[in-house]
Amino acid sequence: MAWLETLINGVLLGGLYALFGLGLALVFGVMRMVNLAHGEFVVLAAYFAVFLATQFPGVSPLFFIAPVALAAFGMGYLLQRLLLNRAVATDDPLTPVLVTFGIAVVLRNLMVELFGADPRALDGGALATAGFEIGGLRIGWYPVLVLVLAVLAFGALQWLLQHSRFGLVVRATSDHREIVRTMGVRPRHVYAVVMGLSLAFASVAGLLLALRTSFTPFSGVERLLGAFEVVIIGGLGSFRWALVGGIALGVAQLVGQRLDSNAGALYAHLLFFAVLMVRPNGIAGART
Amino acid sequence: MPLLEVRELCSHYGDLQALFDLSLDVAEGEATALIGANGAGKSTLIRAIAGLGSRSRGAIRFDGQAIEAEPAERIARRGIALVPEGRMLFPSLTVEENLRMGALCGRTGHWTLPTVYALFPILQEFRHRPATQLSGGQQQMVSIGRALMANPRLMLCDEISLGLAPVVIEQIYRAFGDIRAQGTALLVVEQDVTRACRIAQRVYCLLKGRVTLAGRASDFSAAQIANAYFGH
Amino acid sequence: MRPPSLVPWIGFAAAALAIAFAPTVADGGLLRLLSEVLITLAMAQMWNLLAGYTGLVSMGHQAFAGIGAYVLFVASDRLGISPYWMVPVAGLGGALLAALVAPLMFRLRDAYFSIGMWVLAEIVRLLVAKFPLFGGESGVPLQAVRLVEAESFQQNAFWISGAIGLAAVAGVYLLMRSPFGLGLMAVRDNELAATSIGVNVWRNRFIAFVLSGLGFGLAGGAHFMGTMFVSPDSAFDINWVVTAMFIVIIGGIGTIEGPLIGTVIYFGLRELFNTWFAMSGGWYLIAMGCIAIAVMLLAPRGLWGLARERWGWRGLSVQRHPPPRDEASLSAPLPPSTQGRTA
Repeated sequence: MAWLETLINGVLLGGLYALFGLGLALVFGVMRMVNLAHGEFVVLAAYFAVFLATQFPGVSPLFFIAPVALAAFGMGYLLQRLLLNRAVATDDPLTPVLVTFGIAVVLRNLMVELFGADPRALDGGALATAGFEIGGLRIGWYPVLVLVLAVLAFGALQWLLQHSRFGLVVRATSDHREIVRTMGVRPRHVYAVVMGLSLAFASVAGLLLALRTSFTPFSGVERLLGAFEVVIIGGLGSFRWALVGGIALGVAQLVGQRLDSNAGALYAHLLFFAVLMVRPNGIAGART
Repeated sequence: MPLLEVRELCSHYGDLQALFDLSLDVAEGEATALIGANGAGKSTLIRAIAGLGSRSRGAIRFDGQAIEAEPAERIARRGIALVPEGRMLFPSLTVEENLRMGALCGRTGHWTLPTVYALFPILQEFRHRPATQLSGGQQQMVSIGRALMANPRLMLCDEISLGLAPVVIEQIYRAFGDIRAQGTALLVVEQDVTRACRIAQRVYCLLKGRVTLAGRASDFSAAQIANAYFGH
Repeated sequence: MRPPSLVPWIGFAAAALAIAFAPTVADGGLLRLLSEVLITLAMAQMWNLLAGYTGLVSMGHQAFAGIGAYVLFVASDRLGISPYWMVPVAGLGGALLAALVAPLMFRLRDAYFSIGMWVLAEIVRLLVAKFPLFGGESGVPLQAVRLVEAESFQQNAFWISGAIGLAAVAGVYLLMRSPFGLGLMAVRDNELAATSIGVNVWRNRFIAFVLSGLGFGLAGGAHFMGTMFVSPDSAFDINWVVTAMFIVIIGGIGTIEGPLIGTVIYFGLRELFNTWFAMSGGWYLIAMGCIAIAVMLLAPRGLWGLARERWGWRGLSVQRHPPPRDEASLSAPLPPSTQGRTA
């Protein structure tokens, strides 16, 4: 029984991991860009949510999802337009890695200087601890909410990319960013919108993270590795497998923790490694 | 007034100059061929007109408007469409999605999905297949169809016969008649001199970034063309 | 190649002399700082060897530094041998780990490789923290320090750091001037072309990888010997790589002088912010990050690359040059036996 509960909780934790990785997968798939600052934006959103909570006490933090996501979108758009488009244009895969690496360090230390290194948290009120019983198992509402949001987010993104005009443009730009210009598409704008979406997703993950646990300016880099594992397991451009990957990692971590407390993350990492060795380009494989 | 006027155009790849004071006209509704050996600058010229390549000096006028400083996105909306070298279909998109991309610039006209499928019926059969899963000739049809969907006034075709069997090439060139009938002018880069002279009203021969021969195809003998081609 | 000039060797000799005599003029605090500078320089050179000259960007090299440190501590304590002798063993530990993981890691490309290395470092950290042999989560002090003289310890630690720093710079320089170095750069620039002229891609990468592991192991061992305490979080801290990356990016990736300049800038900035501006720890990192971003976007070859392009400076150049042109030999007619053989 307890194992089943662990399994279910692993799935639910995996939903959070998948949500962390979603924005990263989007940018990785469309622009072939590795955003090492993704974790910092997740944490930045958490701080913003905490700020909103102090400004509007008594309001359920779930209502902050919209303003936080909107602000994050704007930030992502500007960031791409002003800085990262230049990095992507060099066509050297290393440049965006190193530039976002620099951004990560700057943001992380800026947050330490401005907000301090003390742990903060968002008060979820009753939601954080409420749960329900089903068949003798106790399951919290919050993790279910996270999983549902994760699945919705993945589904929405997949739909957007496959069935909307904007998605068509994004996929085409990701294939041949020069030729699309002869069809009237502005790649710089497309990339900026994609980055905005990516950070919007990251911000939702950040808000949910703040509800679940306390965070510090260093929580970003701690979570970033897990987010990358999600993306890489999924393989370039496959959201479906990224979602599956996230869930698998969550299960591996909690099962590992049961077997060997303290080293839960180790098992997630080992699982990641095993997948990578068998499929060096992720489960879905790389697009040529 | 010609539809497209290129005057004294210079184009560079970094420090390397590829086009030297090149001038060229394309008349409304006419087919003009660009011939020349590899490296003569034909693709460079096409890309420059489309706004993708460097235009370091000189003028390009389309319908009387100066476009040499405009970005490719704007040039596309004026009605210049590109059938790129190597086809450059979007591998993540199906045949139909590739065609729909062509219509994005918002120009309306005769060419829509039904009329493009009427021109190349085989494409309708494969409309939901990933575009790069088709044969070379079929992909070329998709590429041309994609350009047509923009209802262009000028279509730039860069080496569309490359790597295709002669039978397939004939099939594709036959479609050019219908395309011109709808009022679209063509600027075609073609390796095969005979074919170029057959389909085009005017022909320009390029050598090392300069025009070595220009005029009606019927005005020149084979020997004159060969001289212009190889530069003796 | 041009006959090697004497200038670099004079430079190395001067540096060696300076290191040898430093303890006589510098106090404890300055010696510790200089130790740190030299060790950081060594790490930067080694990271650059792999990233700049081999084309493999690793975000997990802290694994080798940490392993080196732990090997030194455990070996020294268990075997009862002076830690000074264990420093080379620390390097071997790093090299061994590198040799072990290379076959696995080389299956990955580009970003997958970089992040894979980071995950590897995390796995090593978690494994080390698990086993009581290594002292667990809270770390372990260097008990073997009892085996050495207290007064000369700091001086000796400094000299060891100096030797490692000097060896790293000289070693990479010599390596890159050798045929092996040429092969390495060929692989970095165009793997397919290098293979077609007979360069063994895998072997070259492997050697560079193991050498960088050796270097990081030595540096890690020496550093923690000096601090006399090691814990999993400090030994496998990603900041080892953060520092090396910043230094190499700002100084100039793929050059010998780059890490030198970058190290000076790094510590200069740190002292500037901490001492002169009296602004706490994080600000110099923020400044460093902003400079790194600006450099990557505006001068991708780093500050040294900029100096080379703008003002034609040469220093420890590993560039090859064609032999001087001899007009007479170029226009001489071909010997009769080769005529008619050109297809």
